[in-house]
Amino acid sequence: MRWLLLAILVIDLVIVAWLFTGTQSQQEADFIFVCGTAHRRLDPQRMSWGIDLRIAECLFDPLTRIKLPEMVVEPAAAERWQVSEDGRTYTFYIRSNARWSNGDPVKASDFVYAWRRALMPDLVADYSQLLWVIDGAERFHIWRQRQLMEYAAGEPDPEIAKQFYHDALDKFDKWVAVRAQGDKTLVVKLVRPVHYFLQLCAFGTYMPVHQLTVESQTTIDRHSGRLVQDPSWTNPRKLVCNGPYVLSRRRFKRDLLMVANPHYWNRAAMGNQSILELIIQNPANALMLYEMGQVHWLPDIPSSGAIAADLLDQRREDVHIAAAAGTYFYNFNCKSTLLDGSDNPLADPRVRRALAMGIDRPSIVENITRLQQRPAKSFTPFGAIPGFDPPREAGVSFDPRRARSLLAEAGYDSIHGGKQLKGLSILYNTGSGHERIAQAIKRTWEHELGVIVKLEGQEVASFGERLKNHDFTIARAGWFGDYRDPTTFLDKFRTGNGNNDAAYSNLAFDRLMQDASSELHPIKRMAILRQAESLMLLEQPIAPIYQYVNFQMFKKDHVKNMFPNPWNYRRLELVEVNSVAGD
Amino acid sequence: MVHLILMRLIQTPLILVAIFMITFVCAWLIPGDPLERPEGQRPPIEIRVAMAKQYNLDSPGSFLTGYVHNLLTKFDLGPSLQYRDQRVNEIIASGLPVSALLGVAALLVALHIGLVAGVLGALRPGTILDLSSLGVAVVGVSLPTFVTGSILLVVFANLLQLAPVGGWGTARHLMLPSLALGLLPGAYIARLVRLGLADVMASDYIRTALAKGLSSRGVLFKHALKVAFLPVLSYLGPAAAFVVTGSFVVEMVFAIPGMGEHFVNAVLNKDQFLILGVVLVYSVLLVLFNLVVDVAYAWLDPRIELT
Repeated sequence: MRWLLLAILVIDLVIVAWLFTGTQSQQEADFIFVCGTAHRRLDPQRMSWGIDLRIAECLFDPLTRIKLPEMVVEPAAAERWQVSEDGRTYTFYIRSNARWSNGDPVKASDFVYAWRRALMPDLVADYSQLLWVIDGAERFHIWRQRQLMEYAAGEPDPEIAKQFYHDALDKFDKWVAVRAQGDKTLVVKLVRPVHYFLQLCAFGTYMPVHQLTVESQTTIDRHSGRLVQDPSWTNPRKLVCNGPYVLSRRRFKRDLLMVANPHYWNRAAMGNQSILELIIQNPANALMLYEMGQVHWLPDIPSSGAIAADLLDQRREDVHIAAAAGTYFYNFNCKSTLLDGSDNPLADPRVRRALAMGIDRPSIVENITRLQQRPAKSFTPFGAIPGFDPPREAGVSFDPRRARSLLAEAGYDSIHGGKQLKGLSILYNTGSGHERIAQAIKRTWEHELGVIVKLEGQEVASFGERLKNHDFTIARAGWFGDYRDPTTFLDKFRTGNGNNDAAYSNLAFDRLMQDASSELHPIKRMAILRQAESLMLLEQPIAPIYQYVNFQMFKKDHVKNMFPNPWNYRRLELVEVNSVAGD
Repeated sequence: MVHLILMRLIQTPLILVAIFMITFVCAWLIPGDPLERPEGQRPPIEIRVAMAKQYNLDSPGSFLTGYVHNLLTKFDLGPSLQYRDQRVNEIIASGLPVSALLGVAALLVALHIGLVAGVLGALRPGTILDLSSLGVAVVGVSLPTFVTGSILLVVFANLLQLAPVGGWGTARHLMLPSLALGLLPGAYIARLVRLGLADVMASDYIRTALAKGLSSRGVLFKHALKVAFLPVLSYLGPAAAFVVTGSFVVEMVFAIPGMGEHFVNAVLNKDQFLILGVVLVYSVLLVLFNLVVDVAYAWLDPRIELT
C-alpha cells in the first residue's frame, strides 16, 4: 500500500510538471471576438437575435448592406436597382459575379425561395412580419395558416399534404408580388410605399439561401402537413453561403470559425481572411482573454452589472459607448379595471403623467446605471432616426411640484392627508439590475409624491407571462428598434398590437398611424408620425426613463473599420486587425 | 451479490419513471412560454399557435405520448426549444462527455487530496504537513466554487500564465477546473479518512497487530485503510451528485462547454425537451453509479448484507 501511495505521488508530480509546461496555442484567425451566449439558430429566415444576425451577415450576402460609418444603404448582392415613381415597385439587378460557395451563380429565384420560406407559417419565422410590406404576403401567410389548420383537422395523408403544399406554392405565385425575371432580375411590389424598404432588404429575413441544398433538406411532415426543415442544413459541411465567409467549424457553445469565401464577389475589399467567434458566457473570463491580447473585440459585455460601469470609470480608451436605438421605460396599465376586477387607479392619464414626472432620471443614470445613458423624454430615441425629431416637448422631466398638483387634480392628495393612491406595484424581472432602479423610483415617489408602491421581482419567464396577460399596474420594459423608421417604435401602441403591454388604446392615434402608412410624401409622413408620438406621450401609457447604450471594447489602433453606432450595424468583413509584435 | 444487482436492475426503471413523471409535471407547470421572448417583439398569435402545435405543446397529453413514443422507439429526446438549430440528443452528446470528464477528474482530485490529507493526519498528526493539508481541506469546504475557481483563474491563468484562461480542448484545460470542483469533496473525504482511521486505529485487533510487532505504518496500510475507506466509498455516491450538479458554476467560470449550464438554463427558459432530456440522462448516470458504489461496498466488506 505504501509503495502504491508513493507511486501515486510520483505520477501526480509528473502529470503536474507536464501540464504546467506547454506552448500557448497559436492565434487561429485574423479577427477574434467573444460572443456572450450560444446561438439560437443560424437559419437567416428564422433568426431574430442580434448575435445570430451578426453571423448571418458574414455568411450570406443580402441585396443591400448598410455602409459604415455613413449608415447609408449600398449595393451588395444587387449591383443596382430601380424604384418606380409611386415608390411601390422595386427592380433589383443581381450581380453577374455573385456566386455561392459551391460555385453556383446567385439567382433571383434564390431570393424568391428564401422570402417564400420566411412567409410560410410552417417554418415559424420570428420576423416573417417584416415581409408583410410585400403585396399579397400577409394574405398568403394567413391563407396557408388556415390551410394547415384544415389539414390538421382531417386524417393525416402524405398525398394530401403534398397536394396542399403545391396549392400553397401556386397561391404564392399568384398573390405574392415578388417575381424572378430571368436569372438576375428580381421585381418586388409593395403594399404601399415603404421608405425604409432598402434597409429591410439588408436584414436577416431577406437574405437569400441556396435553393437546391435547402430544398433537399426540407420535407413535408405527414402529421401536420407542414414543411419541416432539417436543422443540420446549417452545419459546416452542408452550408452553402454567398457571403464573405464560409462556415469552417461550429462547436456548440464553444466557438465558430469562418473563413473567407473564395467565390465572394467583393473578396478584394475584405479586411481579414478569417473570423473566430468564441462563445464565453462569463464576462469576467472574456475580459481576461481580451486583456491578454487573445481576443480583439468584446461586443457583448452586459450593460447592467458592475463590470461595464467600472471599466467606463477607468476612462480607458478602448471602451466605446454609443447611444443605442432603444429605450428603457416603465409600462403603465391603461385598462379601466385590473385583472382581478378592481378599479385601475392608473386609468386616469393625469395619475400616469404625475408618476412619470416623479422619476428622477438624471439621478438614475448618474448613480445607478452609470454608463452615461441619456435620460429619455420620448419613446423613439433621440438622434437615431434620420429625418425624425422625436417630440420631446410632449415628454416629461423630473418635476415633483407639478406632479403633486396633477395628483391633487386627479383627487389624490396624500401629502395633505387626502385620498391615498393605493394598489400600485412595480413588476420587474430579477437578475439584471432592475431592482435598483425600481427601488430608487419607489423612494422618490414616496418622498416627493407621497405615493407608496410595492416592488415585485419575478423570474423572467413568469415576468413575461404577467406582462402578456396585463397582470400588473406598473412594469419595467425595454424596446429596441429593428429598422430606422419611427414605426418600429410606434406600431407597438396601436390598439390590439401583440406587443402593446400597456393595453393603450386611442383611436385618434390609430388613425394617425394609418394616415402615415398611406402618406406618400416622406416629410409629411414623418410629421404625421411625430404628431402620433406626441399624442401618445401626452397620454403617458409609458414612462420613458433612459436611452440604452451599446458597450464595446476594442483597441482603435489595432482594430480598424469598426464604427460603433446606435443600430449596431457592423461590417465584420471589412475589419482589419493589426497585431503588434509582443501581443 | 447477484441478487442485489438483480433487485437494483428491476428497481431502476421504476425509479426513472417516477423521476420522469415528477419532472414532466414540474416542467409543465413552470410559468412562461418557451416560444416567446419575454422582452421585445412577441410573434403574432398565429405564429405562436403554429409553434405550439409543431412542438406538441398545446396539450400535456399529446406532449407526453409523443415524447415517450419518440424516446422508446428512436431514443430521440426531441428538439430544443431554446436552441432551435439543435436537437436535445446533439446538445447532450456534445456536453455530456465534457462534464463527465470534468467530473471524473474532479473526483480523482478529491480522492487524492482526501486520501493524502487523511493519511498524513493519521500518520503524523499535529505536524505542519498535516495542518497545512487540513487547512487546504477547510478552505475547500468553506469557499464556494465560484470563488475558488475565480481565484485559481486569476492567479494561475492571468498572473502566472501557467494555465489557459478557461476553455476546453487539451489536458491543460482540465487542470484548474477539476481542482476547483474537487476541492470540496476532497475536504469531506479527508475528514472521513482521518476520523475513520482514528476510529479504527483504536480498535482491539489493531492493538493486537501492533503488539505482534507490525509497524504503525504497516498496520495503517495493510488493515486500517481498507476499513476507513468504506465511508469514503459510500460518500462517492453523493460526491458524484455534487460534482455533476456543481459543475454548472465551474463551467460558467472557466467557459467549459459542458452540460451543467443546461440543467439550470433549461428550467429558466422552460425548454421542456431539454429539461426532461438532461434530467433523464443525469438520473440514469446517478442511479447506475450508486449501484456500482453499493456493489463495491458489499464486495469490500463481506459483513454487509445489502439486500
